[in-house]
Amino acid sequence: MTGTGIRIEGLRKRYGKGDTAVDALKQVDMAVAPGEVVGLIGPSGSGKSTLLKCLGAVIEPSGGRMVLGDQVIYDNGWRIRDLRDLRRDKIGFVFQAPYLIPFLDVLDNVALLPMLAGVKNREARTRARALLDALDVGHRVAAMPRQLSGGEQQRVAIARGLINCPPVILADEPTAPLDSERAMAVIRILNDMAKSQNTAIIVVTHDEKIIPTFKRLYHIRDGVTHEELGAGRFP
Amino acid sequence: MSAPSLRHRALALTAALVPVLALFAYVAVNSGPMAPIAVTIAQAESRIIAPSLFGIATVEARHRYRIGPTAPGRLDSLLVDVGDKVTAGQLLGTMAPVDLGNRALALDAATQRGEAVVREAEARHHQAGDRARRYSRLFELGSISEEQANAARDDFRAATAALAAARAGLASNKADREALAAQQNHLNLITPAAGLVVSRNADPGTTLVAGEAVVEVVDTGSLWLNARFDQRGSASLASAQEVTIELRSRGKRPLPGKVLWVEPVADTVTEEIQAKILFDPLPDPLPAIGELAEVSVSLPAGKAVVAIPNSAIRRQDGVAGVWKMSGSHHEFVPITLGMADLDGWVEVLEGVVEGDKVVHYSEGQITAGRRLKVVDSLVDARP
Amino acid sequence: MISLAGRDILHSWGKFVFTGVGLGLLIGVTLTMAGVYRGMVADARALLDNSGADLWVVQQDTLGPYAESSSIHDDSYRSLLTLPGVAGAANVTYLTMQVGRGESDVRVMVVGLANGDPSTPGWPPYLIAGRHITRGHYEAVADVSSGFALGERITIRRHQYTVVGLTRRMVSSSGDPMVFIPLKDAQQAQFLKDNDAIWQNRRRTLANPALNPPGAPRLAEAVLASQTTNMSVNAVLVTLARGHDPSTVAGDIRRWKRLAAYTREQMEGILIGKLIASSARQIAMFLVILAAVSAAIVAFIIYTLTLDKIREIAVLKLIGTRNRTIATMILQQALALGLTGFVVGKITATFAAPLFPKYVLLIPMDTLRAVVAVAAICVLASVSAIRMALKVDPAEAIGG
Repeated sequence: MTGTGIRIEGLRKRYGKGDTAVDALKQVDMAVAPGEVVGLIGPSGSGKSTLLKCLGAVIEPSGGRMVLGDQVIYDNGWRIRDLRDLRRDKIGFVFQAPYLIPFLDVLDNVALLPMLAGVKNREARTRARALLDALDVGHRVAAMPRQLSGGEQQRVAIARGLINCPPVILADEPTAPLDSERAMAVIRILNDMAKSQNTAIIVVTHDEKIIPTFKRLYHIRDGVTHEELGAGRFP
Repeated sequence: MSAPSLRHRALALTAALVPVLALFAYVAVNSGPMAPIAVTIAQAESRIIAPSLFGIATVEARHRYRIGPTAPGRLDSLLVDVGDKVTAGQLLGTMAPVDLGNRALALDAATQRGEAVVREAEARHHQAGDRARRYSRLFELGSISEEQANAARDDFRAATAALAAARAGLASNKADREALAAQQNHLNLITPAAGLVVSRNADPGTTLVAGEAVVEVVDTGSLWLNARFDQRGSASLASAQEVTIELRSRGKRPLPGKVLWVEPVADTVTEEIQAKILFDPLPDPLPAIGELAEVSVSLPAGKAVVAIPNSAIRRQDGVAGVWKMSGSHHEFVPITLGMADLDGWVEVLEGVVEGDKVVHYSEGQITAGRRLKVVDSLVDARP
Repeated sequence: MISLAGRDILHSWGKFVFTGVGLGLLIGVTLTMAGVYRGMVADARALLDNSGADLWVVQQDTLGPYAESSSIHDDSYRSLLTLPGVAGAANVTYLTMQVGRGESDVRVMVVGLANGDPSTPGWPPYLIAGRHITRGHYEAVADVSSGFALGERITIRRHQYTVVGLTRRMVSSSGDPMVFIPLKDAQQAQFLKDNDAIWQNRRRTLANPALNPPGAPRLAEAVLASQTTNMSVNAVLVTLARGHDPSTVAGDIRRWKRLAAYTREQMEGILIGKLIASSARQIAMFLVILAAVSAAIVAFIIYTLTLDKIREIAVLKLIGTRNRTIATMILQQALALGLTGFVVGKITATFAAPLFPKYVLLIPMDTLRAVVAVAAICVLASVSAIRMALKVDPAEAIGG
């Protein structure tokens, strides 16, 4: 899949009206090229989640522009129609919590996404199995989500986010419940995916272990982003 | 492929569902109006129908005498009570004589006077006779006139007539006296025959009208049963037939009896035929008069005929018939019925032959379209 | 694509089965209630069918013999036999009373049968055991729902009767079992009072100088005899010869015999329209309420089941599941629940029906209607659940 990258210009988000209005995002400028993995760090209350929700086309911004590759998905009040397609095919999510479907086993939790996109069941499951193996949870494919540990669940969730090879991946604290070895594995996979699939990946995190791996970082504070260069170091 | 645990679970659930759905299917087909009707089958047999006629009877006495006064009066004395045995001619009681005693005395006095009158008339007759004979001789001698002789003869005739009158008067008095004696006799209540006193209807001092019964006496040797049979089926009822009598008081100990005669007049209101039945022999102790009894008369049996139990007879379009089974197919066949016995077997004159299988008991109404299910017995089937 | 509905059911099968069974019992109760109503109507029809009559002839201006008391002379049947079109006429009496059985008694309808063979109108059309009455007195055929057994002796007024045959489904319109005895015995039972009352009556008659004049001692006896005989019956059952119209013959009877005559349709109208009308309406109302309550509960259950899955539905929407897929999942679950409930309900109703004291009739039409109704309710209930599901904001999935 050809990468598209994502570009955000002057994004704003205001909650409420009048005197009680809160500006969660005031000026957000970000650009992530295909194949890049950038980190997004900031204290809580800085607007991280709001930004993620705007990026994920879950909430509508109050102003600015969002461009996915050469497709404008938001421009000062105008929003693209088919959000569901966007979320299913163009944007991959890795949430803070796993949010696995409790009545599907691990394999089908991951294989569901390609199935929704029209992929045949057998092929979807093969793909899912490979990805789960890569994430070191291949031995748990038959288990139900509640039988997994927190870390295992998170890895399954990551697999789900990655399986459709979307051009953009948004990861919200993906390594938070994981130990350093597993965390590095995840970051490695993300980097591998970025490279091989030309995916643009934004990772929201405050995990000290993985921050040094980013080449580029965005700091967000009080609704404003600042770009800075990271260490880009893999141990 | 689906994970093993999921497949196991799916299989387990399906395995649990299958019997439930099977039960559902069974319920859908076997209950409600689509279900087959359970029936039992009977075979038409060749049997000797021993017809028997059943009726109810009351014990009565053939001879029952109601004894009472022939004239109104007051009951003076009653010498017997219920349950006493009496002989023929026995005095049971007397009515008050009222004035009969005085009248008797008056009549006695009249009789005596009559006798005296007769004696007087006899004397006068004797005297007149002598005089007539003497005057007749004297006339022959020419001593007296013819007139005198005739006068004497007339006096004699008058005296003869007077004597006759006096004798007649005495006879009349005697007859009156005898009449009164007869009346006095009728003050006595006498039984005409031997028997048992069964009823005492008045006590001494009661005023009675003529014909009112004071005492009822029954000839206990003449107890019989007055039986009533429904007119239907009583054609072959005849005298001398054997009867089984079940008295109400004696429960299940039947007594033998014989039909004495069949009443020629039937009861049009109750549509019954009556017959008199004798005990044969009289039971001891005697049953109470008026007691109810059930009687069964054994009518003469004929030869063996084709018969079916009466519970196989059905009704369709107002016609009696049976549901004949041929294989698994059933059809309604009208039949003509003949004799029946008290056990429920009925002769079939037309429509069914020996060996035919007919529907006997059934759970519901049978129609040509409903399915039938043959079972051995219906009695433990659900209502 | 996998079946989301199927997976969810498999995952929480316990809850699903439990809910399905509970719903099934509710549906079963509703079906049984419908069966009770139908049973009442069937009882009324059975009463008419089993008598085997084409016309019912009763006292003029009454709705008898079932809805109103009617009394006609027992020789009226003879003049009815002479009418054109009449194939048979048989007297019949009906009396609902308590019948003694050992120490206790049972409420039955005592039917007096005219003499004849089993094809006479009024006689039970079929037996399940024993035989028909052969003796003119003191034998009885009883319905099996009375609890009497073959050979048992039962007491009606002052006589004892031997049960010689058993029938089934011979009940009065109010569901009391019937006991068939010979007509004469039934006439006596209907009329004759207990011994004490007879004694009192005798005393009063004898004390009355008009009935017991001093010069005529036999008069009182005749009067007493006439007071203790009953020459009435409740109705005459008439069967018609083939080809004759019941309404015409009934009209003849009404005009010339000064009796009331009803055809089968009219009797059905009287029985169902008047006799059981209010009870039937009562049950019908209750049935409607029950159905409404069942519908509400089904809707509530489906709504709650969907509410339990709100989080998963939000996630599904977030990862790009089509609205249609989510709606189908909810609808499929609702229908599966409804179907389970229906199957359980139908089985429950079938096995519970015979336990009721009166006849409960479950007909296939009602079952079909129930299927359609349950399906419709499930679909409607899932509509509101689906609307709720589709309004869910996927943003809730990304909390914090």
